[in-house]
Amino acid sequence: MNPLELTLGIMTAVGGFVDISELVFAAKAGSQFGYALIWVFALSTIGIIVFSEMSGRVAAVAKQPVFNLMRHRLGLKLGLVTLAASIVSNLITCAAEIGGVSLILNYLTGAPYALMAVAMTAILVISIWVLPFQWIERVYGLLGLFMIVFAAALVAIHPPWSQIAGGFVPQVPAGLSTKELLTFAYFAVAIISAVMFPYEVYFYSSGGIEEGWGPKDMLTNRLTSILGMALGSLLAISILANSAQLFGPVNVDPEIPGSAALEAAIPFGKWGLILALLGMLFAVAGAAVETCMANAYSIAQFFGWVWGRHKKPWEAPRFTIAWLILFMLALAIVLTGVDVMMLVEFAVLFSILVLPLTYLPLLLLAEDKKYMRQYANGPVAKTLGWIYFAIITAAAIAAVPLFMLTSGGNG
Amino acid sequence: MYKAVILILTFLSACSSGPPADLQYIKQARSIAAEWALINNQAKADNLTSTYVVSMHQSLRENLQTAFDSLSDKHSSYGEQMNALLAERADAAPAELRARAEALKRIEDDLESA
Repeated sequence: MNPLELTLGIMTAVGGFVDISELVFAAKAGSQFGYALIWVFALSTIGIIVFSEMSGRVAAVAKQPVFNLMRHRLGLKLGLVTLAASIVSNLITCAAEIGGVSLILNYLTGAPYALMAVAMTAILVISIWVLPFQWIERVYGLLGLFMIVFAAALVAIHPPWSQIAGGFVPQVPAGLSTKELLTFAYFAVAIISAVMFPYEVYFYSSGGIEEGWGPKDMLTNRLTSILGMALGSLLAISILANSAQLFGPVNVDPEIPGSAALEAAIPFGKWGLILALLGMLFAVAGAAVETCMANAYSIAQFFGWVWGRHKKPWEAPRFTIAWLILFMLALAIVLTGVDVMMLVEFAVLFSILVLPLTYLPLLLLAEDKKYMRQYANGPVAKTLGWIYFAIITAAAIAAVPLFMLTSGGNG
Repeated sequence: MYKAVILILTFLSACSSGPPADLQYIKQARSIAAEWALINNQAKADNLTSTYVVSMHQSLRENLQTAFDSLSDKHSSYGEQMNALLAERADAAPAELRARAEALKRIEDDLESA
């Protein structure tokens, strides 16, 4: 097993796991509910590990990407509905990521937000065009590891570790009013959505096919899923715990993505701030690449086009045009001046609605012995898969009413 | 059934006005004041870059202005607090900003317990 292959998992975790939605919801959850929502991060992390491992295994054995499965399992009509919903959800998410990156660049350089959005989109497009798939993942994935400064900051501020450990136990804080309970439930649903974003699975499984995974890569797939996602989850939990410790007691509910960087500045000063902003920049930029590419992969796979970054752009012309147009559309959304936080809210809301339709065909195929032979889901994967399918279905049903009742978590 | 529930919720949220409807903006303003104080405090301790401070001030002020513009009653006590906050200089003293945050928090608590 080549250690470098593990970077695919690291990028998925850091670039996809800690994206703009994670940053926002982890910081807000910590300031409003202390450590009480850590267990939702842990629960969702196990969920994304289960589905990522499953999608990687299906990619390695059946050589089937998610959207190819969807078309065959759901039929053309329902498959098209899922594809359309998924494109909208990923497009909003991609716009939120580009908006987030532009804001972070604005915090770093002071240059105008709109100019940064255009410049960053150009850089992302060039990097995808020029770099081979493996280098795209290495550049954003490894530089995104600056986010470790959030974990270091948590250690430096000497938090109550026993209370943080207690946060891993499923709980609903006592003494909440009905309104606060609804807000708590909304945050739980939003965290499940943000951690289990469908684009992560599309990107991961397509990446496995790009890299020519086969049955021999089963261990790599399992390790990258578990280690990569666990690392991402620890960073997100660090942001939450820092927020609980530093923001909650002084009545700050972080309203803008830049607030999270304060968590590293308080213990480490300017260098902590700069490292945090750089980590956020590369992690969110990585997520922008993933969301856009995931969308292009989905469209190409659904319609049976030639696809993949292992080919030259002109060897897969419709796929190339698809990801270029999707980047332009995401940029156009950002340039309308819509608030990034609003984009984040809608990205999370749309994603949770698509999630059950994304995971059902994957779950069905992963347990189909005809395709998967001895690599089909065993009792543990099968049980966990269906438990998580029930959880995300319940979350999808609750998402819209909770969003409306709590004004998007604002009480 | 699902659509009916959504329609009812939309209708109810559209009907509310006055302090209960403004509560989310009061909360937002309280948080902005507190974050502004935290930033100015850290800036005084030389923990932040000047570029970051300027950008954060701008973002916070824009959000505060949006929250103020969204109020259904701008001449209420909380409207006046928010207006006064908007009039503050970017480098206002952290203690002064914290006092504004606490005043808004009291109003918020009163409204929530009513």
